[in-house]
Amino acid sequence: MALFQEADGDPRVALDRLADVLSYYGAVGDAAAGLAFGFSLRKAAFARSIAVALDVDERLLDAVSIAGLMHSVGALGNPALLRDSDLPERLATMERWDIPASGARVCAAIGAIPEATADIVRWQSEAWDGTGFPDQLRWNGIPVSSVALALADRLVRATEPEEALASVAEEAGRTYAPAHARAFMLWFHRTGAETESFSFPRAVLHPELSDPGDLMLDIADRIDRHLGVPGRARNVLRLAEASARILGCSAAEIEALRIATVAFGAGELHDTFESTLDPLVRLGLERRAEQAREGARLLENLPTLAAAAPLVAARAEWFDGTGKPSGLGRDAIPIGARILATAIAYDALDIDTRARPAARRATAGERLDGAAGTHFDPRVVTAVLQAAKAHA
Amino acid sequence: MIELHERTRRISPTRIHEILLRYGAKSLVDPFMGLPTHLNYLKRHGIAVHGGDVLEWFVRVGEGIVVNDLTILRDHEVAEIVEMIPGRIYALDLFKAWEGVFFTEEQCVYLGVWFDNVRNLRSDGQTGLAILGLWRVFCYWLEKAQQPDEMPDLPPSELAWYYIRQTERWVASNMRRNTVRQSDVMQTLERQRADALLFAPPPRNALHHADPRIWMWEAWWQGNPYFTLEHAYRDTLFGARSNDPAAYQRSLAGILSEAGEFPLLIVATNEARLAEIEPLVRNARAKVECYAPNDSEIYLIATT
Repeated sequence: MALFQEADGDPRVALDRLADVLSYYGAVGDAAAGLAFGFSLRKAAFARSIAVALDVDERLLDAVSIAGLMHSVGALGNPALLRDSDLPERLATMERWDIPASGARVCAAIGAIPEATADIVRWQSEAWDGTGFPDQLRWNGIPVSSVALALADRLVRATEPEEALASVAEEAGRTYAPAHARAFMLWFHRTGAETESFSFPRAVLHPELSDPGDLMLDIADRIDRHLGVPGRARNVLRLAEASARILGCSAAEIEALRIATVAFGAGELHDTFESTLDPLVRLGLERRAEQAREGARLLENLPTLAAAAPLVAARAEWFDGTGKPSGLGRDAIPIGARILATAIAYDALDIDTRARPAARRATAGERLDGAAGTHFDPRVVTAVLQAAKAHA
Repeated sequence: MIELHERTRRISPTRIHEILLRYGAKSLVDPFMGLPTHLNYLKRHGIAVHGGDVLEWFVRVGEGIVVNDLTILRDHEVAEIVEMIPGRIYALDLFKAWEGVFFTEEQCVYLGVWFDNVRNLRSDGQTGLAILGLWRVFCYWLEKAQQPDEMPDLPPSELAWYYIRQTERWVASNMRRNTVRQSDVMQTLERQRADALLFAPPPRNALHHADPRIWMWEAWWQGNPYFTLEHAYRDTLFGARSNDPAAYQRSLAGILSEAGEFPLLIVATNEARLAEIEPLVRNARAKVECYAPNDSEIYLIATT
């Protein structure tokens, strides 16, 4: 299932897409781990700068940057962070210790990024004295490249940079090797804990080893499992794409829609609110709009994915202009967003319908048809139902 | 001043767990386990683990984080470890020989106090946790002696409290029977069967290059500051009788031969020693795969 249009043999296009998808992956990881938007970008930038100060081998610097970006991708699917997780605190803490190792497995499976990335991610939470996780490595068994990531993490998490400086000094000989703590302090005073913003090291990528479209689908699958709705993005993708073709959308519109269908779920990661509400009712609309905004934010700064952002952002708008967040109506809502919203609702209704006893259920089609003209564009509803029928 | 090692053996339990999952192994024996934090990881992930070592403190720690499923230390119990208990008689000069050489007078007194307090704990699990926590204090002191201006001065009892609390975070049950034993490699192999054997062969003459943080803590546990590893390993497979290359090779070959009973054999080594170890493993087993994620960490995986 191709997500992106053909690149017409231009290698830069493939490289740009890959860089954007990996940056998106990092942002999704942050959202799953409950970290602020932009955390991974800041961590990547600081990690590289600190790695230079720690005398990390120059050949590993790009891997350190990418590891900074991908530092929390292991949070997706972690049992302690799942939306429906009810683990006791002690067990949840132990599960969270596995985030770096899961992240390493994810990185190892992405052929396009440097091989060293996986181990830098794996050991980013180890401590000099052996009390870190997951491997409880100690002393010089911890690679310096991972130490750079750990120090960057401390810096980005601190409310004020000086707070990080104080804590690193205090933990010299425990969390950090004294020599690394000293190098960090020198770096801090030399740079003022400021660094250039992150720029993706495209030169080290091997686009021939990873397809950005497949990677986006993998991310979507992991998001769906994390949210407890396995397979949702793929169902919505099939339905939305077929509907867009019925409606005669352009190739560019279809590409943006495809990306939106696999990316909208990311907006729900930051939110512990699980909407079991009927997708056709207004209750919970504010939350859905907030999730739409969050989902769009993850895409809008990434040039090759940005076209999907307005579609994700407008997925909680209603055709009659009473939706959120902007109250757009009719043609003011992008056609892709109208299709996306209708396909998502159909998928949820279809699952819900199949779960009810046959005698008491209206079909998903009947219910969706009832919302045409108010919630959904009637033309789009017809197309989605036609696509669903063809698919069945 | 004592010289601390620059390099540390790296065995990644997350990686070993991935190997075990790949081959469907649900139990593992490590007859040369050292500090068994890797067995703790595997245990927490559902593997039944069995470890063995010659040094007693490793085994005691194993009782705390490998065998022990639920015992931790309550606040008053930690307090009874880290400080002197009124009315208890202490051998405060037990480690006097280290005073001014490796440690300060105050530190040597604390080592004596902890030596007695740990022996008064109620269970093997608690004792193991305390030994591991206090060992980290001991390492901190040795490191600080090297770099006095680079590490903060922390009161011994505060440091001990911090590390004992850190240690007990790892206590968990896997609903399986996990064991540790104080025995030589061959005895462990003869007495314990499992789906997989993890073997990290020590280098030849390893005793002479042992990290002081390891053997000195055995000396502390034995209450004997004059303790030597040569003594502890005197009658063991990798003791003095394996000092010459031929005897060392025979020892390794003997273990690999005994390991034939295990469906999965994982030999952990590194780039520097691969040329020496790999032919022996290939001699012993027909199917051997080399998994080398990095130079410091190479796993020879042998199956039947």
